[in-house]
Amino acid sequence: MPTEARKQRFYEDVEVGQAITPLVKGPMTTSHVMRWSAAIENWHRIHYDRPYAVEHDRLPDVLVAGSWKQQALVQLLKDWLGEGGWLWKIRYQFRGMDPVGATLTCWGRVTHTYISDGLGFVECDIGMRNQDGEETTPGTAVGVLPLRDGRPVPYPFVPPRKE
Amino acid sequence: MEESYLTPEVKALIGMEGEPETCWEPVERSEIRRFAQAIMDDDPSYWNDAYARNSKYGGIVAPPLFPLFGLRRPPGTPDPLRDAATDPDFDGFAGLLRTGLPPVPLPQLPRLLNGGSEVEFYQLPRVGDRITARAQYLDIYEKSGRSGTMVFIVIETRYVNQDDDLLLVSRVTLIRR
Repeated sequence: MPTEARKQRFYEDVEVGQAITPLVKGPMTTSHVMRWSAAIENWHRIHYDRPYAVEHDRLPDVLVAGSWKQQALVQLLKDWLGEGGWLWKIRYQFRGMDPVGATLTCWGRVTHTYISDGLGFVECDIGMRNQDGEETTPGTAVGVLPLRDGRPVPYPFVPPRKE
Repeated sequence: MEESYLTPEVKALIGMEGEPETCWEPVERSEIRRFAQAIMDDDPSYWNDAYARNSKYGGIVAPPLFPLFGLRRPPGTPDPLRDAATDPDFDGFAGLLRTGLPPVPLPQLPRLLNGGSEVEFYQLPRVGDRITARAQYLDIYEKSGRSGTMVFIVIETRYVNQDDDLLLVSRVTLIRR
């Protein structure tokens, strides 16, 4: 875990337009993808069987699973928000496929900040770019940070009261 | 005008709730370790007892999206690999999606794609938790594009632990084409 994740970020440290510290994964090989398939017991052949992926499904190669890519986006935000923060909401679309060989850079940018119920909320655009700069997994997220002199972010997380 | 795939049978599924599905095993340490190693996240909350005990979690926890993958095949149920050696079209995907929901009858649209998700997090699973998923067809709609008509199936699933504490809510969009 990056040391950054242990040094707590506060709401006051964040401003609109700020970049989330990027997270780079890869190059992703068939071994990496197979390890993920085994960990979650997903036997979909396009994630480990190259002849099937290429000859039957007409794909360029074995594909990095979307189920794996979403994990990296969650890690990006979790590490940036730190242990005193909380990733509340995330959404992403699987727009493009990433064949093995891909190096994937998860990125984020703060789009809006607000205080509610004594907690700091940070809205972000997020995504994942491959080595050719193509965006394959665009999305948005809402993170929660403590205020410098405020209450801790509750765990289990309790959403702010509707106003 | 193109024919709609949203037959009365398909539309009748919108809003339907599935039978709750409980994970066969409680969340295990080694399962968390393998999951964390596969996503390449060395966060000590996932493996270091002393560290995790002193954190807000009070013990080892699983990565946030772990519940989405907790519904492994129970022993004694049909082996999804049973046709692997004989069926050249076998995709290995069979039986992976255990939602407790009836299938959406779309025989003309055999291809299934994962379109993306929306997830809200409340709590991380702990070692020993017994996770239960309650799924619902939130929406089913179609869109026409260059490659023909696609049907979008939105499944909302609420994951809770054995104390009925909410862990996360996911809204997964599946695309049939």
